Amino acid sequence: MTDRLTSLREAIEAVLPNVDGVLALRIGPGGISASHLFSKEHPEDLAKLALWPKEPVPDTLKIILRAHPDAKLAIVCRGCEERGIVEMFKHAQLNLDNVTLIGLQCEQAEAEFCRCAKPFTVHSKTTVGQSIKGVPDPVTEKIAAMSQPERLAFWKQEFEHCIKCYGCRTICPQCFCNVCTLEDEKWVETGRLPMANPSMYHLIRAMHMTAKCVACRECEETCPADIPLAVQFRLMARDVKELFNYEAGAVMDQKPPQLLVLEEGDYERSGLPH
Amino acid sequence: MTTEPKIIGFLCNWCSYRGADGAGMARLKYPPNIKIIRVPCSGRVSPELVLRTFREGADGVMVLGCHIGDCHYSTGNHRTAKRMPLLKKLLEYTGIDSERLYINWVSAAEGEKFASVIRDFTEKISTLPPFRETMK
Amino acid sequence: MKTKNGSRTEVQEKIGVYVCHCGSNIAGTVDVADVARWAAHLPGVVVSRDYKFMCSSPGQELIGKDIKELGLTRVVVASCSPHLHEATFRGACERAGLNPYLFEMANIREQDSWVTSDKAEATKKAKALVAAAVSRVAHQQPLEALLVPIDANVLVVGGGIAGIQAALEIADSGNHVYLVEREPSIGGHMAQFDKTFPTLDCSACILTPKMVSAGNHKNITLLTWSEVEKVEGYVGNFTVTIRKKARFVDEALCTGCGVCQEKCPKKVIDDVFEAGLGYRKAIYTPFPQAVPNYPVIDHDNCTYFQKGTCKACEKFCATGAIKFDQVDEILTVKVGNIILATGYDLFDARKVSNYGYARLPNVFTSLEMERLTNASGPTGGKIVLRDGVTQPKSVGIIHCVGSRDRNYNNYCSVICCMQSLKFAHLVHERTGATVYNFYIDIRTPFKAYDEFYQKVLEEGTLFVRGKVAEVTDAARLPSEEGRLIIQAEDTLAGKQRRIPVDMVILSSALEARADSKEVAQKFGISCSADQWFIEKHPKLDPVATMTDGVFIAGTCTGPKDIPASVAQGAAAAARVLSIIGQGQIQIEAATAIVNEETCVGCQQCIASCPYQAIVYREDKGKAYVNEALCKGCGTCVGSCLPKCISLKHFTDEQLVAEMIGAMHTMKEFELIPMEVAA
Repeated sequence: MTDRLTSLREAIEAVLPNVDGVLALRIGPGGISASHLFSKEHPEDLAKLALWPKEPVPDTLKIILRAHPDAKLAIVCRGCEERGIVEMFKHAQLNLDNVTLIGLQCEQAEAEFCRCAKPFTVHSKTTVGQSIKGVPDPVTEKIAAMSQPERLAFWKQEFEHCIKCYGCRTICPQCFCNVCTLEDEKWVETGRLPMANPSMYHLIRAMHMTAKCVACRECEETCPADIPLAVQFRLMARDVKELFNYEAGAVMDQKPPQLLVLEEGDYERSGLPH
Repeated sequence: MTTEPKIIGFLCNWCSYRGADGAGMARLKYPPNIKIIRVPCSGRVSPELVLRTFREGADGVMVLGCHIGDCHYSTGNHRTAKRMPLLKKLLEYTGIDSERLYINWVSAAEGEKFASVIRDFTEKISTLPPFRETMK
Repeated sequence: MKTKNGSRTEVQEKIGVYVCHCGSNIAGTVDVADVARWAAHLPGVVVSRDYKFMCSSPGQELIGKDIKELGLTRVVVASCSPHLHEATFRGACERAGLNPYLFEMANIREQDSWVTSDKAEATKKAKALVAAAVSRVAHQQPLEALLVPIDANVLVVGGGIAGIQAALEIADSGNHVYLVEREPSIGGHMAQFDKTFPTLDCSACILTPKMVSAGNHKNITLLTWSEVEKVEGYVGNFTVTIRKKARFVDEALCTGCGVCQEKCPKKVIDDVFEAGLGYRKAIYTPFPQAVPNYPVIDHDNCTYFQKGTCKACEKFCATGAIKFDQVDEILTVKVGNIILATGYDLFDARKVSNYGYARLPNVFTSLEMERLTNASGPTGGKIVLRDGVTQPKSVGIIHCVGSRDRNYNNYCSVICCMQSLKFAHLVHERTGATVYNFYIDIRTPFKAYDEFYQKVLEEGTLFVRGKVAEVTDAARLPSEEGRLIIQAEDTLAGKQRRIPVDMVILSSALEARADSKEVAQKFGISCSADQWFIEKHPKLDPVATMTDGVFIAGTCTGPKDIPASVAQGAAAAARVLSIIGQGQIQIEAATAIVNEETCVGCQQCIASCPYQAIVYREDKGKAYVNEALCKGCGTCVGSCLPKCISLKHFTDEQLVAEMIGAMHTMKEFELIPMEVAA
């Protein structure tokens, strides 16, 4: 059995002649991986093809497509990245007409690192690697099981470490706005660290991530203060699934639930009065 | 316990605000803690606005709109019905008592319901500690 | 005013505050003079007064005078609900040269003096509300209401009596009407009825002349067998797409001679016009007086369309009007106003399974009964059982079937009492049968209605007050054999009754059209929980909707009788004519606006707009608000994550300022800064 890297290289080589380029990770100096556009003009680049550490590629896809709307591209994406691409598509940030998805299935260790419930792709026609089942998320479970005062204390402590570097916002593939509410002083106060409790920054960001977060955990990876940022998003995602039967990135043509009219049953589940 | 809870109510112009007017016309008494802000539709109330109100030190925030199906903007309150339960969940996950955010539907004809909703909510909030203090 | 860090808050505006006593309504509970004195120190306030009645002429003049003499740039009136006097004070500002959107109202009556017992508390709350308004008003922007020209053509949807009336009124005034009807003929439910209560005029005799006028009117384009597919635009400028379904008959050639119907070999049960009691042909006009008199071919039942041969109609048509190759036509018309008169559906009596409709043959619905009593109906007006020959000796009429019933519809269907009394009279008159009416309450409120009830009582019709439990054919006694037994609690006698009858008539509820929700969505209006179209105001604006330029008339807004439907048709027409007469119309100034610079084109606002007022501009990759379509609800603002869309007059700055004004006053009771940004 060939390893995933070789299989991926072969898959890219198979696609390369038919497209203008393939977006995937390339290993750079110091073992840092970054998105790279592999092209048929430079087949030698493929020697540096990388799988890990993962880096959000969908954003790069968006940037390239903005500049070259007619480009024919392929992109190597993991389950989370594929979901990210789907959400960006739903929000009209990407046109997928000329984009080929090459799905990269995560391995057990990778899934556990990300505490990922869905370490596999579902839309990509070409896939590389064996798809595995999701793994539990002990961090989210631990916080979900806390009492309300415990949770308040927990987040207070966590958010006190926040240095408001905006790294989580910047790395997030779903944060594609031109201007950011988090930089608007009307909503998020500035010039004060640690931020006042409750942290408007994190509350608003969590609200914006609701029904949008694709659980890629890039925010946590980026956070210099090691705040388990994805936990709130994941808890919210559970509710969105339960209340409105919506999963970010799961179905191409399903509209995000905060906008749509109420469907049968939605209202009953929402717990609002009649 | 909060002796003088500070409550802000965002009321839709067509149903709930008129419901509040109705309570007034019927001279129904309720605690003076609530200060009403008129919005065209409960769907206008963004989560940011609610959060900013808490940040200013509100002990409770109410969003009242038309009954589902009676929205003057057809489906404006459907957005409220989807958005606000999620915001309540988020408050819960952050360790904030989600009962501080209250959503209900009050029609223009429901002055009595309006007054009782305000009484009940004010009473409920009075049993909680002041919001600012819980955040210290 | 001192801010947190000690510097002064700069407010450029010159704000005038006016605290109204409203006689003793406010001043009896709120210390208005104290509020006015206190408000004088709010940032930006240059004058603060209290006055007995702000809405009076001298009160309004006070504002005007200050605007002119003190150069006020913002005005706050603390008085009653803006629903009462916002327009008044906006007018006062405008007359004095101040943009009306630079005015704000603090509601210290309905929301304070009338609901707060304690005087000190009420005064405190009034201060908070005034502070909120002052804080908000400083952020308000002048707005100009948009004027749009009005297209004088009108679309009327639904060719029942309400729609016909509306169309005729408008056409007679010299404006053009497109009258769209889904069925092959106009006439609606009224064309199916026999007699109309309480006068017992023949329904067809009074309706047909109106149908003919509508059919012949030079200002009416009649589009029957047609449906509205799409509505775009806004008041004054609607573009309506109409599907004119293929009739397979060339209207220009058809003379309406009827030979095709005579020769057509295919008989079809007519469940629309004859309510399933009679037959029609596969090529048919629904009834002899149909307008227009061109037949249609029922594609699904036509032998030629289904089997490929026949064409009997074509062979016998003298003018060659049969066109088997006709296809649906899509028309686009431009109109300035729309009147919806789409009528009702009859409640499906099968749902009340204990009344046995569709299971027990001699249980009839009210519409079936109309056809049975109608001289041009399937029995020629003879009231007979389902076998077509037997005259009933006793008839039970059950009121409120599907109405005033929590299992189906809570509302009263308005017409059933009178309709049932009419049936009682007709049955009595034509068959001499004993008639029982089972009712909850008898409701006969309008002109000559109760007199009719008295007459029916005198004729000997029996009335049992009580909700019928069951209609059954399971006999318990020999006298019940072969008959329908109505079991009901006679609540006046306090007894259970079992009354055997030969025939049962169910006075079924009127329900909103099954597709009323889709229709409402198409026209951008709202439905109530019962699916009836919602009026702009149930009392004061019963034929308008929240969507400018879209009016409603007749039973599509709720059950009503013929006179009320006609009155509404005419009323809607009058409303439309007044708009046409203005030539142009002012539309909502507080609309949403997109910041094109920052919009990222994610289209969430578009999905959230209930009015399709926001479009995506492919070329720019940005959203764009059509101000003429926007109703100013602001749900888009709530949906836009980066806040690139804002609602004029309800901007985030204004709402936050208002909230802070109220909050800070509440908290410290002395002012701290009212900066929107932290």
